Amino acid sequence: MIERYNPLLHEFSMETSKEIQLFSIIAQSFFQPFSLLDNLLVIMTALTAGHGLGFNRAMLFLANGDKLKGEFWLGPASAEEAESIWRVLSTPGIGYPEIIEHNRSLLNGEVDTLSARIKKMSYPLHKGESLIPALPVSTNEIVLVRDARNESLVDNRFREAIDTDEFLCIPLLAAKEALGEIIVDNAITGQPIRNRDVELASICGLFASNYIYTAKLQKRVVDMKKVAAMGEMAMFVTHQLRNPLVTIGGFADQLLDPKIGPRKRKRNLQIIRSEIRRLERTLLQLTQFLRVDIREKSSVDIKEMLNLVLESVRPRIDSLKLTIDVEVEAGLRFALCDPIHTGEAVRNVVDNAIDAVGNEGKIYLRAYRENADWAVIAVQDTGPGIPESVKNKIFESFVSTKEKGMGLGLAYVKRVMDACGGRIEIKSVEGQGTTFKLYFKTQPKERGAKK
Amino acid sequence: MKKKLLIVEDEKNLCLLYKEELTKAGYKVTAVMDADSALKEIRSHSFDLIVTDIRMPKKNGIELITQIMGLRKDVPIIINTAYQSYKHDFMTWAADAYIVKSASLEELKVKIKELIG
Repeated sequence: MIERYNPLLHEFSMETSKEIQLFSIIAQSFFQPFSLLDNLLVIMTALTAGHGLGFNRAMLFLANGDKLKGEFWLGPASAEEAESIWRVLSTPGIGYPEIIEHNRSLLNGEVDTLSARIKKMSYPLHKGESLIPALPVSTNEIVLVRDARNESLVDNRFREAIDTDEFLCIPLLAAKEALGEIIVDNAITGQPIRNRDVELASICGLFASNYIYTAKLQKRVVDMKKVAAMGEMAMFVTHQLRNPLVTIGGFADQLLDPKIGPRKRKRNLQIIRSEIRRLERTLLQLTQFLRVDIREKSSVDIKEMLNLVLESVRPRIDSLKLTIDVEVEAGLRFALCDPIHTGEAVRNVVDNAIDAVGNEGKIYLRAYRENADWAVIAVQDTGPGIPESVKNKIFESFVSTKEKGMGLGLAYVKRVMDACGGRIEIKSVEGQGTTFKLYFKTQPKERGAKK
Repeated sequence: MKKKLLIVEDEKNLCLLYKEELTKAGYKVTAVMDADSALKEIRSHSFDLIVTDIRMPKKNGIELITQIMGLRKDVPIIINTAYQSYKHDFMTWAADAYIVKSASLEELKVKIKELIG
């Protein structure tokens, strides 16, 4: 005989114990994409959801520098509101997503009267002389206030705001760093806070601390990556500018020599001009890369776009001994993308293919329907292929297999494809060639569609 | 007798510039645009000093230095590159000087003079 249970507790009934409900709600948050606000809301929900489950109201303070600042306050403002919220939350079949949704609407909606009250609150976090609510964070102690009206350690303004005699303060700390504080009370039901409640609340405090700490670490990693990327970029730009500048400077110096003949003067000027053009191209590439900002997508005729691309690469193809084979499926739908950036992106891929095949080889350019929603532009070359070692790095900026490459081309292509909601795939076999596939979302050809 | 220099620089215009300026400074200059041509020159002629770029197509300057060392030619080498960062590659320590390319060729000329007069 077997018994079957749902692995996730979706329904919270009165019979389920407080602890189980608490852990169930928190555990479900592990399976959500990490978002600090949502995760903290989960904790606050765990503390306040349900009639007999936890506390009536929960407020969150976050440490910001040496100040403790009010963030949000969750819970009913009055007994009537409490009734309606708890009715919603104890509806049979209500689960974790519904509770989160409900809490989010509380925070964003007009019912949110409590949060407005504490948003402006800010308390200095000085050791020794601080009052509640800052005191528990300064001393790293859980503090239960029983008789707030007659307790001189409670800040006056805060006493007015919370307007209840009994509340529990849980400091949030990680690695000796003050992160914030959660304060809970039973202002609506008036139930006393018991030892068991303190224990459960302190566990919630640990979870909340962990979330805030993780978010901080995550942000630090992102910042470090940004700094590293900036450094890399600065290095490449320096290099890309240095060679032409050295050349320009050197030949300009020669021009200053009064003995220079007319022929050499002309040659030097030509060299200087061509190096300046090179600088311009470099800057153009850089600005283009930095400015991918696609807000609006329009319907683009793939065939027309490919014709423009082919036109722009034609001179290069003609100067080499390579052939390009183009095939566009008839009746192809329009691609939803940005016409200029997408054209540039495709040209980048075709340019790469030309670089790859060198003097002799073949390039296949195909556009076809993948299925009802997607169209593909595929660029295949018979070049040497992409080495295995760089294959998964080629879309990163400043990674290039070409000695003179900026490493911006494919990074740019990827940014454009991402911005258009498309994607890019690559198949490459060393010694046999490479195929890039650009996937575009499509829409039916419409009369009057913007081209 | 004029001292003989070998310049390895893949940028056509820079290659020309170095050749002209160092010739003017009184050296006999051979300029090539890639590492393999450089090795060919080194095998068949003797040089008093080699100036090489690092980032070049096919074989880079560090590989070139390694191969020159393998030939046991006792010739001073100056690295002349647009990159600061190759200083961290210990193979560049084998060179006698590391110069970051500048629009003024003074530093290069001074280093050459220091090394071979």
